[in-house]
Amino acid sequence: MLIGALIVRIGILSKRKHMFTGELRKYLESMGHSINIYTRENLQIDDNLLENDFYILKSKQLMFLYAGFFLKSHNIPVFPDPEISYKQKNRIESHFLIKNAGLQAPNIFLGIKNIIKKKIKKKDYPIVVKPLMGSGSRHVYLINNPNELNFKKEKILYVEKYIEGKHILVYFIGDLVRAYEKLPFSDEHSSMRNIGVTKKINNIISRWKNKYNLQIGHLDIVIEKDKGIIYIVDTGSFPEFSQWDINPKPPELIWNIILKSYKNNFDS
Amino acid sequence: MTRVGIIIDKYHLKYKVEKFLKYLKKKAHVKIYLEEKTLVNFKKVQFNEDIFFVKAKGNLVLYLAKLIEQEISIPVINSYKGIFLAINRFLNSLYLKKAGILVPRFSLTPIKMPPPFNEYIIKNIIDQKNYSFKPEIKKNKGHLEVMDERALSEAINSSENYRYLYYQEFIKSKWEYKVYTIGDKLFFYKQIPVLVNPDKLKTRREIEEIPELRSIVIKVNKVIGLKISSLDFLKTIDGNYYLTDVNPTPNFNYIKNGHKIVADYLIEQAKC
Repeated sequence: MLIGALIVRIGILSKRKHMFTGELRKYLESMGHSINIYTRENLQIDDNLLENDFYILKSKQLMFLYAGFFLKSHNIPVFPDPEISYKQKNRIESHFLIKNAGLQAPNIFLGIKNIIKKKIKKKDYPIVVKPLMGSGSRHVYLINNPNELNFKKEKILYVEKYIEGKHILVYFIGDLVRAYEKLPFSDEHSSMRNIGVTKKINNIISRWKNKYNLQIGHLDIVIEKDKGIIYIVDTGSFPEFSQWDINPKPPELIWNIILKSYKNNFDS
Repeated sequence: MTRVGIIIDKYHLKYKVEKFLKYLKKKAHVKIYLEEKTLVNFKKVQFNEDIFFVKAKGNLVLYLAKLIEQEISIPVINSYKGIFLAINRFLNSLYLKKAGILVPRFSLTPIKMPPPFNEYIIKNIIDQKNYSFKPEIKKNKGHLEVMDERALSEAINSSENYRYLYYQEFIKSKWEYKVYTIGDKLFFYKQIPVLVNPDKLKTRREIEEIPELRSIVIKVNKVIGLKISSLDFLKTIDGNYYLTDVNPTPNFNYIKNGHKIVADYLIEQAKC
């Protein structure tokens, strides 16, 4: 039920109950809302999900995305939108999102191991092998030469050209943008340094947000070392925001964005 | 002469298209893009085909189709969207139900949780690989429980490791109806349901067009985005047709002169 501007029942689709999801739950409960967290232990995608009024799609694992699609098809609001979240999770869809926003993405290849070994030219190394569905550094491998391509399975591999340069994680929540320098292939929780937001980075974030009507998310960018071209190497619809270093904290900022964006749903 | 690109995998090339290719090569220049031998370079998009025909469902095939659609205006049959939705049982059930098509009740349920229906078939969530339906049939307190081996293997053993099962409620039906689409031509068949008689071809027979099914098939193909398909239906005792399967790469050899009909359709749809 919706009462005035308050949502009584909020579902959070998340792979874990702690970390950001735990903080979000604490914040929303302090605001008087009733929270149900759905992890892979208790998420069954069927009409039982329709008992909540609103959902937050925290995790982009496939089953949570499916739950988002299911809810959307039943006219239950989901934030962020499951479709754009799916596209950011699928690296090829994400590649096209980046290109269609007029931004630079590293060149990508698809093929089985032996074909990659045979057909990718030596000058195109190093390359990076990544899971087709994924974001971040999990199961990501830097390959310096064809001999290092020694995966056992003969499955189709997704390969990106490696961009050498300065690696930066950029968060955005509404109009706030934060940028942190990081080591290549390090995950979001590793040690990083706040480097401030340059005009170029700000322009990239504006373009990205405006093209796809995004209000929160992150981009991993690399400023290429020779020509200074900025490449987008990873995108995400809902990071943990573990580096966020200013107040207000992300749960409050994100909830305010949700209240503003879904005002019509909440008022009805 | 029309130039036709065939995006295919080894399995389909070996077993499914021999007559089709022989016929097509008399009428068009044919170039084969074999999944196992192709490197898709997303920066180098140069093709001079007039049309592409996709006869496989693997990831390379799927994203090559997407790249062609995204970067150049050459028709691709079936489209990326059509194949992507057709092979994803959960998403196509969701979209078809929303569009008013009758589909059996369905659920995605964690392996550890009990089945959501009394009688059900467990199917793989994404029907992308080249192996056939292998049902393990059980009766539990008089209720039918069917598990496709592939579903369990994808849920726990493979790289997918979904830990989820797609349940489709079982629909009791005397016949299984199969409708093939090639462009605007429809072909109607019926057979004893595979769960009753796994030898599907033994009882399959061509039937007269069923107008109600025709309108459902046209709507399904439009919602999913398919030009060539085969759709399976079961009919309840009260006469409703439930769509149980969508196949974007049907075996058209089952249709009389199917290979010729598909080849002629592709040439007709080519851009020139």
